[in-house]
Amino acid sequence: MDVKKITRLGLLTAVALIMFVIELQIPNPVPVPGVKLGLANIVTVYAVFRFRGSDVFIMVLTRLLLGALLSGTTVSFLFSLCGSLLCLAGMLPLSRAVSERYIWLCSIAGAVLHNIGQMTAAVAVMQTFSVLVYLPPLLVSGCIAGAFTGICAQLIVKRVKK
Amino acid sequence: MKLNKKVVILAAVCAAIFVSAAAVCFFLFSRPCGRLVRITSAGETVAVIDLASAENYTFEVTCAEGVNKIKIEDGTICVSEADCPDKTCVKMGRLGGGMPIVCLPHRLVIEFISSDTDAVAG
Repeated sequence: MDVKKITRLGLLTAVALIMFVIELQIPNPVPVPGVKLGLANIVTVYAVFRFRGSDVFIMVLTRLLLGALLSGTTVSFLFSLCGSLLCLAGMLPLSRAVSERYIWLCSIAGAVLHNIGQMTAAVAVMQTFSVLVYLPPLLVSGCIAGAFTGICAQLIVKRVKK
Repeated sequence: MKLNKKVVILAAVCAAIFVSAAAVCFFLFSRPCGRLVRITSAGETVAVIDLASAENYTFEVTCAEGVNKIKIEDGTICVSEADCPDKTCVKMGRLGGGMPIVCLPHRLVIEFISSDTDAVAG
């Protein structure tokens, strides 16, 4: 990895972290656990389309770790870790198959996968399948949030030169 | 403009997930409330309460991560206070038929159970 790339990835991680912290300050309007806009994912989606898979992976992992330190909950770190891993596993191959005009679609798929990963972790942590009833509302909100972050990322990908 | 086949499939899958999830949501939210409420903490049943005959009272469920104060009032149950970081469990208000109340940081679940299926004596 050359210095330029490390710098860019570090900068992206910082931007994502700032967005994550800002979002923490906004009270959640929907009283369903796990529902989030996921502003920091704008950066993730952008990185998926501009960097190699391993680079994106390292960046997201760093962001999650630092984010957990800032927000201070181990449980939610576990949820977002499982969600992000599944999301990246799906979105990286998808991003190579789909043109840059459909980043928002890719992002919706990523959000859905993120929700499924989160839910798997939630079932394991809570040790009950009753939390699964949260999956449908999570998916609905995930599709909307994914489309939003995807559109944002698409604008950025278009405007920021390689 | 010619649409890529992969894009069409992806869009169709996304739309299908969205519509079916919304439909299931609609179904879930229209479920009626039950009578028996089970409180689970870290995978273990703490209490099973019959809301129809329960008196108004407040009690605490303590776990390694913190405390949730649970209030029973006029046949409804809610989390009145909690020391978890997100307070989602408090904001969720009274337990309704559709969604159980969960406190993810404290691994707490409050849900209706139907008396004939998996009622566990508390």
